[in-house]
Amino acid sequence: MKRRAFLGYAIAGTAASLLPLTTTEATVRQGGQRYLRPPGAHKEAEFLDHCIRCGLCGETCPNRAIKFFGMENGIASLDTPYITPREQACILCMKCGDICPTGAIPKITRTAEEVMAKVNMGQARVDKTLCLSYQGKTCGVCYRACPLPDIALRVGMLEQPHVSDDCVGCGLCERSCIQIPQAIRIIPHHR
Amino acid sequence: MTPVDSKPFFLWRHLNKLRWLSLSIVFFMLVLIPFLHLYQTYIAAHAYDLLYPSEKIIYDSMETLSAPFVSDPENDLDLLKGTTWSGRLFGLDLSDPLALAGQIAASGKLLWPFLLTALIPIGLTMIFGRFFCGWICPASFLYELNTTLGFWLRNIGIHTGQRRMSRKFKYLVLFVTLLLSPLLGSVAVAAIYPPAIVGREIYYAIALGGFGVGAVFFTGTLLFDLLVARRGFCRYLCPGGALYSLLGRFRLLRIQRVVEDCNDCAKCNAVCEFGLDPLRDGFGMECNNCTACIAVCPTDALVFKVTPKDQPDRGPGHLGRQYRRTHNGNARDEHEP
Repeated sequence: MKRRAFLGYAIAGTAASLLPLTTTEATVRQGGQRYLRPPGAHKEAEFLDHCIRCGLCGETCPNRAIKFFGMENGIASLDTPYITPREQACILCMKCGDICPTGAIPKITRTAEEVMAKVNMGQARVDKTLCLSYQGKTCGVCYRACPLPDIALRVGMLEQPHVSDDCVGCGLCERSCIQIPQAIRIIPHHR
Repeated sequence: MTPVDSKPFFLWRHLNKLRWLSLSIVFFMLVLIPFLHLYQTYIAAHAYDLLYPSEKIIYDSMETLSAPFVSDPENDLDLLKGTTWSGRLFGLDLSDPLALAGQIAASGKLLWPFLLTALIPIGLTMIFGRFFCGWICPASFLYELNTTLGFWLRNIGIHTGQRRMSRKFKYLVLFVTLLLSPLLGSVAVAAIYPPAIVGREIYYAIALGGFGVGAVFFTGTLLFDLLVARRGFCRYLCPGGALYSLLGRFRLLRIQRVVEDCNDCAKCNAVCEFGLDPLRDGFGMECNNCTACIAVCPTDALVFKVTPKDQPDRGPGHLGRQYRRTHNGNARDEHEP
């Protein structure tokens, strides 16, 4: 009986000490790293409690864009999938949502309407002080790389890029930018 | 004394070899699937001539392996994905019941498509008990090899841990991790469940260029088994083993002792990876039907029976020395020298 009481206190104590972690602030903490979740994924808190860390999304990604967190983004993110668009961007093939067993990444058919309505990984932002086109050297590489040209990304004079709200944040523009560091980058929307 | 009605089916002695074959195939598949995935990505990139020589070897060998079975490897090979934690086996989606439990605990929601993927494993567990642990689990494969390593070490005089603890401890582990899942806001069992870790780490090592955090934890469990208790993690700590034991509590297929044939040699107890007591009819819900005891039994006194309940302890075996001493003049002893 004594041991049982001790175990009870131990469990209650552990639970109590972990309670402060339950605030979204703590569980959805983002370290220094800027990352995207796979296309169509739920918002961060919901994504983390749906994902069973099976790795199927990464194993099915034909572009090898999906990688997995170690401890660098907190214990709650351990072994969850993420994308670093500068290294390898999402080609919006939607295979990860198709194979995800838990619906952490919902199933989305691969049509422009469906993708624009349901995918919101982030939004591109142009750094005009770095962008070649804004420096008078016609470039337009990001526009050529965009899977939704003239919808997500329009170009003006000298192929200067203008991002619209329809941008889904796949990161192909950031991947293709010829400037170092990149003049266009995705601001994640996963919170 | 009634004579034993029939000899057990002769192939039962060889089930343990079949089990090792099954474990090896599962492990081989876990290594093969990441390579098939790499092959798929090489095809998708249309970049054969840009590959490194080592990558060309992967491409060529995977092409040779899969060519007889698929016409469009880039998409057809999607039918074979994942690990034992959750995966697609020739188009059939299967998930570990513990993944389902952990996910329900963490999110508080039940997702029907996900439940469907776990139904077949749950059903099989209710019939065959904890069979996953003995016949499929990729971590079991490594743990049993680790046990063998322990025997070798003991042969050359290095002591390995032989501590015994309470088997009930793993139910506490299961309960606490499920309870902590909603507090942590993540499926916590995935981080401490060895088969999930092994499948994941093999994939990381092959496709992503290196082991992850889980490899450290898994090495820790190997050392725990070696230094503290034989098969200690599976026996006392594994949350999956706890869930399977609970699901398989009233399993239909059980290994049982034929008391008339038993000679009390206790080899079954020595060989049992889970530290059970087949010699005294002590199987319980922990038995994983691994058949190691059947293979080692010199008198074929352990057989499979279809029954939802274990037999009670029926005392010493009728071929044993103690039984013959107490039942002197018994009909069975007449033909003994």
